[in-house]
Amino acid sequence: MPDIRIRDLTMEYSSGGLMVRPFDHFELDLQTGDLALLLGASGCGKTTLLSMLASILTPTAGSIKVGDTEVTQLKGAELARYRRETVGVVFQGFNLIPSLTATENITVAMRFAGVDKKRARDRAEELLTMVGLEERMHHRPGKLSGGQQQRVAIARALALDPPLIVADEPTASLDYMQVDGVIRILRELAAPGRVVVIATHDDRLLPLADRVVELTPRHADETRPPERVELAAGQVLFRQGDPGDLVYEVDAGHIEIVQELADGGETVLALVDAGKYFGELAPMFGLRRSATARAGAGGPAVVTGYTMRDFRARRGEVAPSG
Amino acid sequence: MWLVSVRDLQFRARRFVIAIVVVAAVFGIALAMDGMRRAVQDEAPAIVDGFDADAWLVAEGATGPFTSTRVLDASVADDVDGARRADPVVLSRTSIAADTPRDVNLVGYVPGGIGAPRIAEGRAVREPGEVVLSSGTSESVGDRVTIGGRRFVVVGRSVGGRYYFGVPTAFVDLADAQDIMFKGAPLATAIAVRGDADAPAGTVRFEDDAVVDDLNRPLQQGFSSIAITAALMWLIAAGIIGLIVYLSAIERTRDFAVFKATGAPNRVIVGGLMLQAVMVALVAAVVGIPISRLVALGMPAEAGLVWSSVLQLVLVAIVVGVLASLAAVRKALTTDPAVAFGGK
Repeated sequence: MPDIRIRDLTMEYSSGGLMVRPFDHFELDLQTGDLALLLGASGCGKTTLLSMLASILTPTAGSIKVGDTEVTQLKGAELARYRRETVGVVFQGFNLIPSLTATENITVAMRFAGVDKKRARDRAEELLTMVGLEERMHHRPGKLSGGQQQRVAIARALALDPPLIVADEPTASLDYMQVDGVIRILRELAAPGRVVVIATHDDRLLPLADRVVELTPRHADETRPPERVELAAGQVLFRQGDPGDLVYEVDAGHIEIVQELADGGETVLALVDAGKYFGELAPMFGLRRSATARAGAGGPAVVTGYTMRDFRARRGEVAPSG
Repeated sequence: MWLVSVRDLQFRARRFVIAIVVVAAVFGIALAMDGMRRAVQDEAPAIVDGFDADAWLVAEGATGPFTSTRVLDASVADDVDGARRADPVVLSRTSIAADTPRDVNLVGYVPGGIGAPRIAEGRAVREPGEVVLSSGTSESVGDRVTIGGRRFVVVGRSVGGRYYFGVPTAFVDLADAQDIMFKGAPLATAIAVRGDADAPAGTVRFEDDAVVDDLNRPLQQGFSSIAITAALMWLIAAGIIGLIVYLSAIERTRDFAVFKATGAPNRVIVGGLMLQAVMVALVAAVVGIPISRLVALGMPAEAGLVWSSVLQLVLVAIVVGVLASLAAVRKALTTDPAVAFGGK
């Protein structure tokens, strides 16, 4: 059953006219039987990565291989078959069809794949029994608790016994009484022959994981010494979307702060002259860079990067950038 | 998949029931109007056939026996050579006196001659002062009634006999009709002829088909209006179904995204929506049939239920359903499966 290999993955999309790049040459390997947690703050790209694994979003560049299947190349009927038979998705907020009973929510997924009616019903009942809902098979989602709905959603994802399960915040809508059953089921799913990938904020899932993938940039090493960087005219210091770990002061020349637009253009946000600083928000809040910094076209520039601790220690000695 | 469509109809039952009732009313009105149109179209041949004449003679320059104001002398009937029988008739319009006068067609004929109606109740006219009334009038046999200012005794009721968009007819003695229309002058609007007769000088011969065409001529605008109104009814029905199914599709955007994200083929989603619209249209068509009977009670002509129209209604309902679902289908097909994840 498939191992997952992600190589050189880049994903860009437009948000409010600006280019957002949650993944830039990202790489990841997962092996059969793994339960992988994607951890990170909101907006770091967890759901985007799940969507790409499920072939719902297509990356801008790079490769995603599930077993022998190059997911990024799938089209038409092959794409539909991959979504049906290779990936089971547990959506945030359950996403059950409100007009269908628990059993029907599962049988519909199988009927799409051509499974006959009786086999589909038997399989749905088997799965609902497995997730402890044998008494709720004929209830609509509106008559089920959040935990019960999430278990139906998991059963639906398992309907065609897919080798890859992706789950988006599976515990986000549940209270602590309901989380236990869901966690137990997810752990049991990650067995040889299957990979389970879960995007979550929930630290309670950490002990379950075989792999933890941190998608939020780590805070810089606070003991790191200041870094002096000499830049030729127009040379880039950091790019929009890069992890941000240092605050920079301009020692000589000047730095252009520009934002990349979705249409390929760019807009200049600021010119930072010698004696001023820039780039403090990303290291302060653990964000990616929201703009690109480069030496001005007029000549070379020299900057020094400081950790947040060192920068705070220096505050008051330099004037803030305009 | 039909299960998803049926379950969604059940889930949003109240909304769909309202839509079905409204569309059924529209279908019912359209069906009743179609029945009325057919009934009106059948009136002219029926009244013309009722005379059992082989030909009609009218004054030169007249447009036809039922529509012309040109008259000829009743004695022309005596000059028709070769006819087995030739009788003068007066075909006109007058009214029955009441608080609100009621229009009637007036047929004056020679008792026992050409133009005598088939009797459903009572007997035929034998002498002046007697009248046979068609359906569409409230008088009973034995009642007294004033027609065109003259008093009559109702002696019978005819089988059919309505024309000009369901207007009822009074069959009277020729002399009474001449009295009402021509102050007693011995005139006629036409000579009805049996046998192969030549038209005497000063007259023109009409065959039955030409008489029917002439009788329907003033009604063509009415037929066109009915056809246009019926087409508008179908459009309204399609609009209502389309709106309801589209609203449902908007609410089900996330469902469609989930279907797509889980590999449902587009044909399943498209088929489901079309099936839903067709089901609404078909149920509305079935409910529309009894509604059309109620609507027909208020129609001027005797609009019967025409089964070919019902079949047409069912076919139209299917087409209307499919067309109505197109906007919803477009919505479903353009739904991004990423919506299932709550967006990018």
